[in-house]
Order: sequence, then structure tokens, then C-alpha cells
Amino acid sequence: MSMQRRDFIKAGVAGWIIFQTAASRALANPTQSSKNPKKIVWVMLRGGMDSLHAVLPIGDPDFMHIRGSLVAPIKDKLLPMHNGFALHPALKNCHNWYQNKEFLPVVAVASGYRKRSHFDAQDQMESGLNNTDYESGWLARAVGMLKGHGLAIAQTVPIALRGEEPSQTWFPSHFTASDDDLIARLRSLYAGNKEFSGLLESAVNNRDMLDMDGETRARPNFSYLAKNCGELLSRDDSANCAMLELGGWDTHNNQQQRLNRQFSMLDNGLAELKNALGDTWQDTVVLVTTEFGRTVAVNGTKGTDHGTGSTMFMLGGAVKGKQVLGQWPGLAKESLFEERDLTPTTDVRSWMASVLHQHWNLPLDKIAKVFPDVEPAAQAIVKA
Amino acid sequence: MMSNTRSFIAAHRFGYGANAKTIRKIKQQPQQWLLNQITADNALKELTLLDMQWNSQLAAEQLNLYQQQKKQEKTPKASPQANMMLMASQNTQKQINKQLQKAISATVVHSIVTDSPFYWRLVDFFSNHFSVTGNGPRMRALAPTLEIEAIAPYISGSFADMLLAVESHPAMLLYLNNEQSIGPNSKAGKRSKGKRGLNENLAREILELHTLGVNAGYDQADVTELARAITGWGVEGKGSANFSFKANLHEPGRRDVFGKIYQQDGVKQGVRILNDLAVNAKTAEFVSRKLVNHFVNDNPPQALVDTMVAVWLKTKGNLPQVLQAMIEHPLSWSEQGAKFKTPREFVISTCRVCGIKKINPNFSKSLSILGQQPFAAGSPAGYKDTQEYWAGPRAMMGRIEWAEHVSKFVKNSPVELAQNALGPLMDERTELLISRAESKSQAVTLFLMSPEFQKR
Repeated sequence: MSMQRRDFIKAGVAGWIIFQTAASRALANPTQSSKNPKKIVWVMLRGGMDSLHAVLPIGDPDFMHIRGSLVAPIKDKLLPMHNGFALHPALKNCHNWYQNKEFLPVVAVASGYRKRSHFDAQDQMESGLNNTDYESGWLARAVGMLKGHGLAIAQTVPIALRGEEPSQTWFPSHFTASDDDLIARLRSLYAGNKEFSGLLESAVNNRDMLDMDGETRARPNFSYLAKNCGELLSRDDSANCAMLELGGWDTHNNQQQRLNRQFSMLDNGLAELKNALGDTWQDTVVLVTTEFGRTVAVNGTKGTDHGTGSTMFMLGGAVKGKQVLGQWPGLAKESLFEERDLTPTTDVRSWMASVLHQHWNLPLDKIAKVFPDVEPAAQAIVKA
Repeated sequence: MMSNTRSFIAAHRFGYGANAKTIRKIKQQPQQWLLNQITADNALKELTLLDMQWNSQLAAEQLNLYQQQKKQEKTPKASPQANMMLMASQNTQKQINKQLQKAISATVVHSIVTDSPFYWRLVDFFSNHFSVTGNGPRMRALAPTLEIEAIAPYISGSFADMLLAVESHPAMLLYLNNEQSIGPNSKAGKRSKGKRGLNENLAREILELHTLGVNAGYDQADVTELARAITGWGVEGKGSANFSFKANLHEPGRRDVFGKIYQQDGVKQGVRILNDLAVNAKTAEFVSRKLVNHFVNDNPPQALVDTMVAVWLKTKGNLPQVLQAMIEHPLSWSEQGAKFKTPREFVISTCRVCGIKKINPNFSKSLSILGQQPFAAGSPAGYKDTQEYWAGPRAMMGRIEWAEHVSKFVKNSPVELAQNALGPLMDERTELLISRAESKSQAVTLFLMSPEFQKR
């Protein structure tokens, strides 16, 4: 990448202002910090991942009794961790990272949401607030405090990255880029129309910053998106965070087979992300969360229905791994939430807040603006 | 407002854009033009004109064939014959995929040429409201049949009839696993000794997405009760897509949903609950608001929603009358384009105005590039319906690039094209810039990307 292009990428955080004059481009630099090399990647698993099938509480006396039928096919292949927990065998890279002190799960977490609608739960988790604000996401607020910017690997900006500063999005393109002349003419067409000028400039800006080698695919899979996410982050030092999404977790039926596939997809994608990040992996915390957990009991179709408490993963070179965090509430009937779900004992946002504090060094008063409804968790998550 | 302007607004806001032919059809009577499209006679005519050669029965036959072929391939015979079999199932799967593409294309092409664009916008709206995703051969075969069999024929009737048709259609029953859901105290449930039982997926989405809407005051017990009431609702199978009520899977006993008791009455128990849900005030509000959000404004004016809800409750959810209330309300005719077109509306209106019936990449692929591939929303909530969802930086550049690509195939005079499409809605400045473009295709791209054409 040429020096010029690099400067251009750095300046990108100032949005479309940079297009006005060369002078404003130069001025744009000091307004943002490229000093913080620490990256956060948030992977949102949409559909409600069954945490009891990911991080299996094999030490819980009630577990095999309730979940025996789902666990039977993988029982002998479980990947052991500490405190009576084991990972699903398809999460083999995660387990290697665990042993390498780069992976830690937090059990029994949930957001502030206690109902069971995917769409509301996801929106609330992306917003990070008890009352969803569709125009303000937690990641956008956090990265705003750093005066940095975020990157969404998606066609459109997800709620998590909506905020005052425009976030960039990247997704494989299928056509050759429009030429400068057309763009210039569209600019005059939209002159005086604030809405469309804004849309155009963010589109052009976004394309110029993120158009890489022109490699395209009809249907990008998670590994491909994760790989590109890693490459973009490792070569753009003004991008502090990125969001990836992976759907397909709503396992109402046939859960055993479906989660085998899903976990492999996730595990392989995370490995692609790590490879693409290269040395940047050492400065990265990857957060993997889902909107809610699933019922403890198996339903009538070898699956599970919408529940409450779930697990989050933290991984990356910066993570103080090889530990299982969170308080385990137990699976005895009287310990369950509404007698059916794993009871959440900590708020997933308190762990995210803690990562912002320990990894990005955000002061507590700023974190309170990102997550006004929780306190950061006290445990050490990031390597000293 | 000039009635001519209202004709153009009607064509864009409630249809798939204007061209000279559409404006002649409206005859400066936009409300009447819209109402004529949602009569029972017209619905029947449109379905006859639609060139759809795929239905759930054909889908079931293909799937049966596919399953038999798969079964045969699994028998351990490494003979050349077995290899032939292997090719057979792959071939059937390919046929199914091809049928899905053809079905998608048939509806899009018909929407481009139809004289009843409002009717097809409504089909699209309810198809998204009752979204099904084509994952795997079974759903790829069935997904496109739901809108043609359970939605399109019911636009001219009551919401209750549409709801019942959808929830008892094989695509929905299989998509949300209801055919596997078993009453724990039913004959089959007891025989399985607790190994098989209830799946509340369909019941939850009926309440949350199809009728009352989330946060409408129902609780987990209501979901479970509804799930129990519709146990046994399944599909004949083995080559037949017919609805089948399997009494031996049906949970016995009375059901209590929102404090109302529904006596045990086989399949009718669930039907009665659905009928009550269809005329519930929360459903009226939820669906009316979604309609206004879709057609008129991302921030639906409450007065307009209230008017529609009142008609809904008075007419027990008669859709043409509810829609008439929307069409006749002054708030539906504000002059400015309040809605940013969805990718589907953008693609269809582009092709309609430019006279294109075939494109490459094909319709399904084009829509996928722009972020709205049919039957691929990936969740039963369907695609979202607001500008912020469709106007992201990447999606916006996708539109520009797609418009530029398509414009290369347009032969008409660009200024004439724009005048016919936008009439009095076109800004002088837009017209000037189109006329000054350096090439025909650039001029067409500017027209397609103009705010007047992007919004409706």
C-alpha cells in the first residue's frame, strides 16, 4: 500500500469532509487517534446459541440427566477445560487457544433483556442499552470515545455501529467500480440534497477505503468474511474495531447435527480471522456473544427453544485465557430462570465494559456512557 | 394538488413506478385505480396471468423423488448403477434449485409488466410479513409456493382467511417445525415416553411476527398453549403437500390463551384461536402500522394507523376495506417522497420504466447483490422496511454500480424516459443534468439514481 493511500485511510475517519480540499485532509489527521493499536472484534451469533452445548457443564450433577440425549454422540470427544466445563469437540481451534492462554469463556451471562424474541434481544444487545436506541450502538459509542472508527462486515450498518461518526461497511462487490466522472456527476445531482449527498459520500468513501484486491464471491461464507475482516483491521491502523455476524443458531430441532456444523463454521472462521490479523492478533480481543440462550430441557424435536442465560467467548492474543469465568448457577430445577432457562448471573455488558476498560484503557466515566446500565466486571481479562 | 401529480404519486408510492402506459391507465383517478386492483375478480385475473409453473404439489413430488433417490444411494452398492443413482439425486436437487429461480423470476417479471402493481406490492408485503427462507432442498422447493398459494389469493379477502391459509400451508408448517411438534399427552407423545414432544417455534412466531406483534402482552404460557393447540397440524407427505391434521399427535384437553378457554375440538381448536387473533385489536394495530410503514412513511402517522385500525375492527379485518382507508386518507398523499425504495422496488421499477424483462445477472442474483434476495431473509421476521436498513454505504454503492450496469442495456432517450417516469415530480435540475450527461448510459444512471426515482 502506498504512503498516500495509507494517509487516505487514516483520514477516512473524518467521513466525507476529506473530499473538500487537500488542506482539510491534512487537518483531518490530528482529530483522530491512530496511537491505539488495540483492536476489538465483536462476533454476534444471531439466533440464540445454545451455550450448554458449547461450553458443557459436565461437572454439574444435573447436566447429563437433562441433556444426556443431546450429549451422547459427543460425550467421549469433549475438550476439557477447568472447573468442570468442557468445550464442544468442533471448537478445536478454540480449545488450542484455551491451552495457549488465549481463550476464555464466561458462563451464565445475558443482557438486560428477559423475554424471548430474537429480534428485540439482538437489537437491545447491539444498542447495549436497556431501552434500545436504534440510532446508537455500544460499539459506535465506545469507539467514539477513542475518536477512532469501526468497521462492519455487512451490506448495511448494523445498530451496534450506528452513532455520530459514520462507520464503514465492507462486503464483496460484484461490479466494476463506477468511474470518477459518474461520481462527480452524481455529486452535482445531489448538490443541495443533504441526505443523498451524505449517502453518496459515505458510499464513495467507504468503497475507496475498503476496496481491496477486487476479489469477489457470489455467496461469501463466514470464513471468507472473517479473513477479510482480519486483513482490513491489520492494514488499517485507524480502525479500532469491527463487527462480524453469523446466523443459523436457532436450533429448535435436530440440534446435535446443526450445532456440529455451526461450531465448525465459527471455529474455522475465527482461525481465518487470526491468520489474517497476523501480528495484530497479539493486540486483539475477540468477543463472541449471542442474544440469549436456550431452554435447559430438550424439546420434542431434538432441539431447544428460546431461553435466557448463555455463554460468551473472549479470545485473542491480548486475552488472559485458560480460565472459565462467570458464576455457575447450577441446573437444579429451583435454580433455573422461570423453571426453564439457565439463570444469568452476570450481565454480558459488564464483561464488554471490562474489556473496554482493560484493553482500550477507557476511563470509567466514559464507560458509563457506553454502558450506563452496568458496572464493569472486576476480573482480569486482558494480559497485564 | 393537481390530479396529474397524484397519479404519479400513486404509481410510485403504491405501485412500481410510472411510465406512459401506467399514467394512461390511471386516467387521473388514482384512488379508483388502486381500489380496482384489489377486488376478488382482479386478484383471480392476476393469478391467471402469472406464468408460474410451480406449486407445492409439484414440490412435494420432487422432494419425494429426491428422498427416494437419496435413500437408494445410501444402500451399500458400489456398482455403476449406484453411481448413476447418485447423479439422480443431485440432478433432482438441481431441478429444485432451478424451479426456485424460475419461480422468483416469474413473479418479478410479472410485477414489471402487470397492470395491477399495487396488488403485487401487497403480495410482496405479506410475503415478507410471513417470511419463509429457502434453506435446504425442502424449503427451496416450498418457499416460493407460500406467497402464490396462501397470500396472493387472499389479498381481496379477510386477514383471518390469509392467516389460516399461511399457518396451515406446508411451507410454513415445515419452515417452523410444526409438523414435528407433538402433544406430550397425545397418543404419539405417550408412546414415545417423553422422547418426542412440543416445539413452540411456529406458535411463538404467529404471536410475535404474524399477529399481535412483540410486547403485545402475551406471555410464555400463551405461547405454550397455542403450540399445544396446533399440535397435529402437519403435511400428508410422501409426495403430497396437502395439509393433514394428525389426531394422534394432537394434545388433548382445553387450551387457555389470553384467559379465553378453547374447548378440545381437534383441528378447530387452533383455527378458533387464529380467528380470534386475526381480529384482535393488537393485530389490527401491528399489521396496519406495518402497512403504513411500508407504503407511506418510516414513521407512520398515528392518525392514519388509527383510521385503519378502526376499519379493521369494524370489518373484522377485511383487507380491501382496511386498504381503502389507507388510500383515502390525506396523510397517504404527501407530495414528498417519504420512502426510500427497497432493492426489490428499485429493481422492478427500473425494469418497468426501462422496458427490460430480462437482465444479467438475473433477478435473483441482482436482488442478492443489492441485499434482498427473495426467500433469503434468513429469519421469520423477513427483511426490515426502513431507509436506514437499505441505505448503508455498501448498499448505496451497489445501487450505483447496478444502475450503471443495467443502464448500458437501455435504448430509449434518457430525458424522455425520465419525463415519462417522473412527470411533475422531476426537479428541473435533475432534467438538466440528465440532458448534459456524456453518454446515454450515464444519463440513464443519473435518472435511476436521482432522489426522485430512489424515493417514492
